[in-house]
Amino acid sequence: MDSLYNGSFNISNETSQEDFRLLLKALDASISGIILTDNRLQDNPIIYCNKAFEEISGYDRNEIIGHNCRFLQKEDRDQKERSFLRDAIRDGKSCVVDIRNYKKDGTLFYNELYMSPIKDDEGKVIYFIGVQNDVTKRKKVEQELRQQQEIMEKRVAERTKSLKESEDYLNSIVQTVRESLIVLDPEFKVLSVNDHFLKTFKVTSEDTLGKLLYDLGNGQWDISALKELLESILPTNNPVEEFEVEHDFPHIGKKLMLLNAHRIELEGQYKDRILIAIEDITDRREIERRKDDFLSIASHELKTPLTTIKGLVQVMQRMVPPEVNDKFKAILDKTGVYINRLNNLIAELLDVSRIQTGNIELHKEEFDFDKTVHETVEAIQVATKSHEIQIVGNTNERIKADESHIIQVINNLLSNAIKYSPDHKAIIVYLSRVSDFAKFSITDKGMGIKLEDQKKIFDRFFRVGDIQQRFPGMGIGLYICDQIIKNHGGSLLVESETGNGSTFSFTLPLNIITA
Amino acid sequence: MTNKTILICDDDEGILDMLEIVLEGNGYHIIPVQNSLNLYEVIDREHPDLLLLDLWMPVLSGDQVLRSLRKNPDTQDLPVIVISASRDGQQIAVNAGANDFMAKPFDVDFLLQKIQEYVN
Repeated sequence: MDSLYNGSFNISNETSQEDFRLLLKALDASISGIILTDNRLQDNPIIYCNKAFEEISGYDRNEIIGHNCRFLQKEDRDQKERSFLRDAIRDGKSCVVDIRNYKKDGTLFYNELYMSPIKDDEGKVIYFIGVQNDVTKRKKVEQELRQQQEIMEKRVAERTKSLKESEDYLNSIVQTVRESLIVLDPEFKVLSVNDHFLKTFKVTSEDTLGKLLYDLGNGQWDISALKELLESILPTNNPVEEFEVEHDFPHIGKKLMLLNAHRIELEGQYKDRILIAIEDITDRREIERRKDDFLSIASHELKTPLTTIKGLVQVMQRMVPPEVNDKFKAILDKTGVYINRLNNLIAELLDVSRIQTGNIELHKEEFDFDKTVHETVEAIQVATKSHEIQIVGNTNERIKADESHIIQVINNLLSNAIKYSPDHKAIIVYLSRVSDFAKFSITDKGMGIKLEDQKKIFDRFFRVGDIQQRFPGMGIGLYICDQIIKNHGGSLLVESETGNGSTFSFTLPLNIITA
Repeated sequence: MTNKTILICDDDEGILDMLEIVLEGNGYHIIPVQNSLNLYEVIDREHPDLLLLDLWMPVLSGDQVLRSLRKNPDTQDLPVIVISASRDGQQIAVNAGANDFMAKPFDVDFLLQKIQEYVN
């Protein structure tokens, strides 16, 4: 390399001159900028640069040669890469840095600079070779990537935080709810339970998690009917609802539990888990039973003196001397009417209690439906002078039902029709056979019922607001009627228009004759 | 006067009073019994034509009374009408062997009509 001196070539041998030109062409053809600096000269100046270096830097060769390459950094001197370079030069080692350089026109470019020392036979550094690549594009992409990454990381952190918050929120609900919750996998192994489950059954999570549902406790859930229902949840998505389990549970004794089970799915993750919610209804059932007992006793006790009063009033009615004025007789008659009303109220209270606890007992016997309707209507007609009740049509059917309950329904509908049509005389009862049902309808021309109230009139203790003022009552009559008809497998419907009267209809299935 | 003897067994004094008034007014001879434990003894002594029997009574309930009456050859054919305010009364009465049942409260006329069916 002695032929290279002060940036010009001095070659004596013809062949090597050819080779050298080729070499220079190769260097100029490179897309990497290449420079040589002379370490032996003051301030380590550039003594050679190729074409690519001129292109990358924007400077001409005559502006480059003889200068230390720091001019490329212009005023941007505070770069840590510069100290790497200094150390490499001092130690005579090679290094690679990405350094911010500036073209002649001031444009920033990132220079991937590879520096390598060239040493003499004694190992002393005499030159440095520098290979430069403009990596501005790559840097830009890298920078963008880093920015993107930062944004992503920030977003992930935010999402994680909000997920955590909503998980905490949901978890606090799950743990606070006063119902025992279990989540099962498709093999009916317990995946998780809430605190209430552990407290209710007095077990630890170690006793429970990962165990088969049917193995929990003393096989307390190993009930074939329940098994069948649970096994159909996943394939059919049919929930188990209101399943009662009475069992002598370990640790807690005999309890009545109400079970609800649903398939749960999380989109894209699973749809093969089962959530079971268990409610301890032992106390509730016991309270219901006691209330039922209480009402039975109360109604019995109330009816006993009422029987005496009724009997005595009836004796009085028979003993009225003929010369007594009509007012006296009317007072006695009215007393009788109110005794009956009191008796009905007592009976209704007991009915409501029994319906609520599902204890309504039906004593079904076959009877002639038309005859019963006629007799019931006649009995009411005798006591009602204000209205005229007409019966149209017939069913010609004998039905098997609880006759006293059906009479109760007819009486209720009849007295409602009379009560709520004080200014209209006509009430019509229609009897017909519709498909395999006997149908009873009663139409009055009274005040009617607002549409929004029509849905609620079968609710317990519901009274239409403005009606309450003028027509006293407890609001349980229609509720009882509806329940009685439902218990017979029929339905009770209302059609009405404000000011245009109401029609109440009920149906009773005829096939219950064979039931 | 029919001279028929009707025994009334009910723990409630008001019911006994009222029935006595109603039935004596219709010519029956009435023996009220408030304590069901005394009933057998009174039946033995009085040989009634009919028994009106309550169900819910302390110590010895109406259906218990009725079952033992039906087991005894001397009383197995005695007509018994159960009178009760209990909603399940009819079922209990029929199962225990009552001839008839009346729900409290009842119509006096209806009761008299029923009584006539059994004493004549």
